[in-house]
Amino acid sequence: MEITNILFAGVGGQGILTSSRVLALAAVDAGLDVKMSEVHGMAQRGGNVDTHVRIGKEVPSSLIPPGGAHFLVAFEKLEAVRNLHFLGPGGTAFVSPLEIPPLTQSLKKDSGYLPGIDRLLEEKAPRLVWVDAVRMAKEEGDIRMVNLILLGALSRHLPLTPANWEAAIRKRFPKKIQEACLKAFRRGVTDVAENQPS
Amino acid sequence: MLGNEAVARGAWEARVAFGSGYPGTPSTEILEALARYEDVAVQWAPNEKVGYEVAMGASLAGVRALVTMKHVGLNVAADPLFSSSYMGVGGGLVVVSADDPGMHSSQDEQDNRAIARAAKVLMVEPSDVEEARWMTREAFALSERFDSPVLLRMTTRVCHQTGVVGLGDRVEWASKGYLKNIPKYVMLPSHARERRHKVEERLAAARALAEESDLWNPVFRGSSEVGVVTSGVAFGYVREVLPHASILKVGLSHPVPLERIRSFAASVERLYVVEELEPYLEEAMRAAGIAVYGGRELFPYTGELNLPLVEKALLGQPRSRVTVDLGSVQVPSRPPTLCPGCSHRGIFTLFREMKLRVMGDIGCYTLGALKPLAAMDSCMCMGASVGMAEGLEKFGGPKEKGKTVGVIGDSTFFHSGIPALIDMIVNRSAATLVILDNRWTAMTGGQPHPGTGKDIRGNDAPQLKVAEVCRALGVKRVREVDPYDLQGTRRVLEEELQAPEVSVVVAVAPCLLGGRIPKGRPVEIHLETCDRCGACVRVGCMALHEKDGFPDLDPDLCTGCGVCVQVCESGSLTLPGGE
Repeated sequence: MEITNILFAGVGGQGILTSSRVLALAAVDAGLDVKMSEVHGMAQRGGNVDTHVRIGKEVPSSLIPPGGAHFLVAFEKLEAVRNLHFLGPGGTAFVSPLEIPPLTQSLKKDSGYLPGIDRLLEEKAPRLVWVDAVRMAKEEGDIRMVNLILLGALSRHLPLTPANWEAAIRKRFPKKIQEACLKAFRRGVTDVAENQPS
Repeated sequence: MLGNEAVARGAWEARVAFGSGYPGTPSTEILEALARYEDVAVQWAPNEKVGYEVAMGASLAGVRALVTMKHVGLNVAADPLFSSSYMGVGGGLVVVSADDPGMHSSQDEQDNRAIARAAKVLMVEPSDVEEARWMTREAFALSERFDSPVLLRMTTRVCHQTGVVGLGDRVEWASKGYLKNIPKYVMLPSHARERRHKVEERLAAARALAEESDLWNPVFRGSSEVGVVTSGVAFGYVREVLPHASILKVGLSHPVPLERIRSFAASVERLYVVEELEPYLEEAMRAAGIAVYGGRELFPYTGELNLPLVEKALLGQPRSRVTVDLGSVQVPSRPPTLCPGCSHRGIFTLFREMKLRVMGDIGCYTLGALKPLAAMDSCMCMGASVGMAEGLEKFGGPKEKGKTVGVIGDSTFFHSGIPALIDMIVNRSAATLVILDNRWTAMTGGQPHPGTGKDIRGNDAPQLKVAEVCRALGVKRVREVDPYDLQGTRRVLEEELQAPEVSVVVAVAPCLLGGRIPKGRPVEIHLETCDRCGACVRVGCMALHEKDGFPDLDPDLCTGCGVCVQVCESGSLTLPGGE
């Protein structure tokens, strides 16, 4: 049973749920089975959030085991580190180089963030792709496009066609932002590909 | 489709006429999705008991009704559930209990399959999204056929699973209208004793169906070496771990189809039971003398199942997977927290500064218990803050006098705080109740409640005012405060804490999450006067963090609410324009 496992991780409110839904819709458009598990409720209030997406011919269950993810899409660096153990050998982490410090408790120095996090990610991730999605989204004129840019970067590695993705994006977003969404997605496909080691 | 959306779809296909319930993770999206079907009457109830009772009335009127709640909500609705079990139904009545194994968003992880057994009602358990749809649809027919409310037991990983769903047509079904039947619907002891026999007859008939139904309780025939009896979300894990084993999936799980399980057991060499939380099926099997090779003892007693746990149980050890080893790196935790600009932050900052004893309640503001605010002493269940504040203040001795407050949100107050406030009044409590009036049910994503003035579809609705309700009940001291004004709020709290009778302080400020409140301009920091006392970061705001030993502001997150400005004694934080 060939199943591809993709884990999305970030901080509540970053659009993690939206990204995973677009991926699920694209997979359905390709005629694949999908199971996805998401987080609602208390965990969303500024806490860490993850969604598990599993696609394949037949997917019996919805949670990815540690070491079972083929791809990790992280919207924030600390959340990339927190979920790195989900990646299996040869797995790829797409990481947006954004730092959102967790809630500070005091003014003690360095009480919040993990020091040397970039190097840690570069050393520990089996394969790492930095996706400067926040900068690109700002250039696209809408910070909310971060999730589509990350999806674009991811899309090159999945057995889904551009038509599948376009169908999913058109289904998920209202008409007036569809073109902007598609543009951001395509930017993720092309711009990230340029500096990607393979 | 989301599992919860699939329940709504199934109910719509069954021609449900009415949906009610109270928001609670992981159940909330069911009613929200049902409200998108325009020909269904859908409404939020102030609590689960009321929601259940309105649905029961609709059922007596002859229409099909759905009532939704989270697992602990069924505790609130247990009274009507147990009695309606004796009464049976008019139109089909389906009761959704969304359990939360692992306690993602809950105060306990009770397994409500035990409640179906105790209340003697039928129960069905979907294992995935598609089953959530068709089982809901068919549950209405079961309800009418066996004259029983049907408990639809969901769990977090089915509610919040997205999967592929086949859409069915709507069934042909017509209401028979209200059928008067006093001995059936009036639960006097003499009637109830008669109905008690009907309950047993009904369960026997339902068991006969469960025993023979390949639809509800299918057997997946595989190897005869290993057989697994399972239900709910556990089925998917079993299927994935042992694709060639024989599996009996119990979808109609009360009454338990014991003879079907017995003959399945006889067809395999080793029989396992894999179920989440309590050994509900396993105990019934063991009591019936069915030999179980492995069950409950193979799993942790708490938490939800996952692939590695089921692998360990069925294969002896988890499949080896290479994972990234971070060595000694400690990843800082990121607990949930009050939003930047949240109106609760100032209140809890005051509670901490005033060293109050705080009996808390269920909602976003429960996060006031976490560091650095750490300003809540208890949180038990919906509405408990009020009664617990009364009890603690009365019996805590001089130390707690003038120090004890209950703190409750507006939705929770309408849910079950009102009877407790009546208790405070008539039993002469001197405690103070703080009601956080933000105009909706925030934690579950902003559902309207009796104080919102909107219904589930966003249309205007009658609006109850918290302060007016308290005065009408007989509270003499009711004060409204602006929770963003720390000094003013503190003065009112001090006065009311000293009052020798019950007093209510209503903190009025709408929740920011709806996007109805424009974001203010961010706070300005003047590092040259900062003495690094840390008071500002101790209000626990995501927009304010430490950088090189000084406070640093994220202007994108800051809403300019001014709480940090008011706690800064050196004047190093200011609102733009020197306000």
